[in-house]
Amino acid sequence: MTKTGLGQFKILDISTGISGPFAARMFGDYGSEVIKIESPQLGDPARRLGPFHHDDPHPEKSLTYFYLNSNKKGITLNLETAEGRQIFKDLIKSSDGLIESFGPGYLDSLGLSYGEIEQINPKIVVTKISPFGENGPYRDFQGNDLLYQAMSGIMYSSGAYHREPLKHGHPQTLWMAGIIAAYAASAGLFTAQRSGQGQYIDLSTAESAAAHHYTSPVRYIYNGFIERRAPKNESGSTKGVKFEGIVPAKDGYMGPTFQWGRQRGNYKDYVTLLDRPEIDDPRFASEADRQQHLEELDTILMPILEEMPKFEYFNKAMGDGWVAAIVQTSEDLVNCPQLDERAYFTEVEHPVIGSTKIPGEVFRLPKAPWSVRGVAPTHGQHNHEVYGELGYSSDEVVTLRKQGTI
Amino acid sequence: MSGALEGIRVIDSTTMVAMPTALHIMADMGAEVIKVDSHTLFRGEGGVFPENDPGERHWDRDGSFNTLQRGKVGVTLNLKEDDAVNAFKDIVRVSDVIIENNRSGTMDRLGLGYDALRAVKPDLIYLSNTGFGYTGPWRSYAGIGRMFELTCGLSQFAGYEGEGPRRVGISFFDQHVGWMAVFAVLAALHHRDTTGEGQWVDFAMYQIGVSTLGDAVMDYISNGRSGSSMGNRHKYLSPHGVYQCKGDDRWIAITTENDDQWEALVDQMGSPGWAQEEKFADPILRWHNQDELDQLIGDWTKDKDQADLAYQLQKAGVPAMAVMDGRDFALDPHIKEREFFERVTHQPETDIGTRLYFGRPWKMSKTPAYIRRPAPMLGEHNEYVFGDLLGIDQGEIAKMYETNVIGKDPINPGSAKPTNLTRQIEQGVGSTIDPDYRQKLGI
Repeated sequence: MTKTGLGQFKILDISTGISGPFAARMFGDYGSEVIKIESPQLGDPARRLGPFHHDDPHPEKSLTYFYLNSNKKGITLNLETAEGRQIFKDLIKSSDGLIESFGPGYLDSLGLSYGEIEQINPKIVVTKISPFGENGPYRDFQGNDLLYQAMSGIMYSSGAYHREPLKHGHPQTLWMAGIIAAYAASAGLFTAQRSGQGQYIDLSTAESAAAHHYTSPVRYIYNGFIERRAPKNESGSTKGVKFEGIVPAKDGYMGPTFQWGRQRGNYKDYVTLLDRPEIDDPRFASEADRQQHLEELDTILMPILEEMPKFEYFNKAMGDGWVAAIVQTSEDLVNCPQLDERAYFTEVEHPVIGSTKIPGEVFRLPKAPWSVRGVAPTHGQHNHEVYGELGYSSDEVVTLRKQGTI
Repeated sequence: MSGALEGIRVIDSTTMVAMPTALHIMADMGAEVIKVDSHTLFRGEGGVFPENDPGERHWDRDGSFNTLQRGKVGVTLNLKEDDAVNAFKDIVRVSDVIIENNRSGTMDRLGLGYDALRAVKPDLIYLSNTGFGYTGPWRSYAGIGRMFELTCGLSQFAGYEGEGPRRVGISFFDQHVGWMAVFAVLAALHHRDTTGEGQWVDFAMYQIGVSTLGDAVMDYISNGRSGSSMGNRHKYLSPHGVYQCKGDDRWIAITTENDDQWEALVDQMGSPGWAQEEKFADPILRWHNQDELDQLIGDWTKDKDQADLAYQLQKAGVPAMAVMDGRDFALDPHIKEREFFERVTHQPETDIGTRLYFGRPWKMSKTPAYIRRPAPMLGEHNEYVFGDLLGIDQGEIAKMYETNVIGKDPINPGSAKPTNLTRQIEQGVGSTIDPDYRQKLGI
């Protein structure tokens, strides 16, 4: 079969945690052969990162690891040994991309700098994901999700006026960097296919987070205004109207309107949507009118919304052309009729976890489609297969393992 | 060497934030991105204006627009006119990719759906961005970035501890979707380059969002657990939070991930007696006693400068960072040395002068990306695209202007006013106005 789309690429993923593995999984999802390289001792630290299947902190049961490393083959390799480095060089020879997230200068110190890698395979695209990038005064600083949210301005812009800045609860900055690494690596591969020239990509996770928040810097750069996180009339919405933020529904939370949707400005239509003609009120007729009576509006609408089941409201409002949202829980997502009809979940069999299902297709690319070709590897699962392809016999693989090389 | 996407021409038939973001990155990488705009639509009133002055051409002077459209070539087409639809198809004929984010069915109605455009450009890559995709019970529902923070399940984690969910102050969801669109287009380009085939990409914002929550979704599948908000705290690390510093609304983020970092923090605090107490002796005890621990650390940070302290702690091996606002970040020495912001000089007619725009969070060693031109003024490149590229003669182009198929001035420009910045400060949506911003930024 001719290899097309991303199926033509072989990607080495020696990264750990969330960002690099997520990027590499995107390639695996759309057909690339991805080889995940882990240390022989403990493997990727994500194996010890929760949540765990049945809350059992077993290295093969981390659900974070499972999700991020599906569609990959897993091998072990010790780069601290000379033989391990030689094997790594052999793998580089036959690969199109390498994704790594070691500390600054680590690969250089092993004699595996980009200059040396380029000598071995000038066409390879090396994507290096680091906390703050490969130069600058913070190059060697520690990084983590909390610090990226702090530096990027996301935190300063979030939370309540009278309280401390608020981080997003999910470590979203790490996922952000993963998406960015995936497209940057793919662009590098596009050049490599056309010109035969590989390259080195230096990606900063802190800057990835900052790239999601241009609005505050733009206001400063355009007119010196320094944005703060919320109006004093505390509500979670920029306008100070509670129901334009997140409000309680009967069975959870929702965002009832975003800028009044299609019927922006027309209170009568909103009253009709709620099926409550008795609350029609000329004081709220236009956007400008409402601005004069924000608190009254909240007083009237909040109790009504609080009685409504969130999906009932959502389907009614969206079906009528409004822009509404519901705070979906993980339970809602797993039972979502929209995701179900788009076949978002795939039943899989994991050697340790057993039968389960995993979330899937990111976008629909009909001619080079998303697919599940394998679940996350157990530690060193594909050593025999991958090293066999490099020419090592089964006995040699066993010896390498005994020596601690793999 | 030139940019990674040099030689690729992309049509931008999009609005809002997510897809314009994808497209400006593609322009930075060297693609020729043609933004198809319209001079017949309302041009809006609001905006972030230079020196808070809408000026004479306010529609060309909005900072957000200029951020999202930088690097692109701009044309206008009034797609209500058949001639405009035909001109659009002519642009398609010489392009590789089109991205659109209209409601499903709109492009078909205009005669610009995938089948119609494939007929003129068989190997076209056509990406349709919608909220929920083209199939399924929610397919006709509208989608804007901000709502997906809630609907994708992110908001179940966001909020102060013990309270309900809270919206994050910014719409970062749009950017997630934008970057993923770049990945999708590149996957389709790789496919086209090996097979000669184009394709239609059904690109739903909802699914992009859920994909960034794989661990949470699997937690429900395996353990029946949904998320809850923990504020700035962590499931098992403490300290992990922000602490007040000297000045108005100044904060520092501090966390320790192991005993070495904790010891380094204690050392930096001057080894106070409380830090030696049994209740803070190991990570588990520190986590259980974090209310008290946070109070004590906050007492220590409150008279210190956020930036100096963060630097000092990091130099000692403690993960720490100032909670930066827009000014802090724009002027940060590391960000400066990384050249994360790029200087762009605007067209003289806009009277914007030079501004800084954020670049990209990566540097490619052989095909460097950069902002190749400022955001286009309305219809700025009509002559280039219709004349030079499509070969329409000058008389025809003049006729297109006369019949309002194309234009350079908005038919309904609205009236833009300066933002009442002082009032915004009073309301609390801003902390202050820095009169010296131009000097500090060197613009």
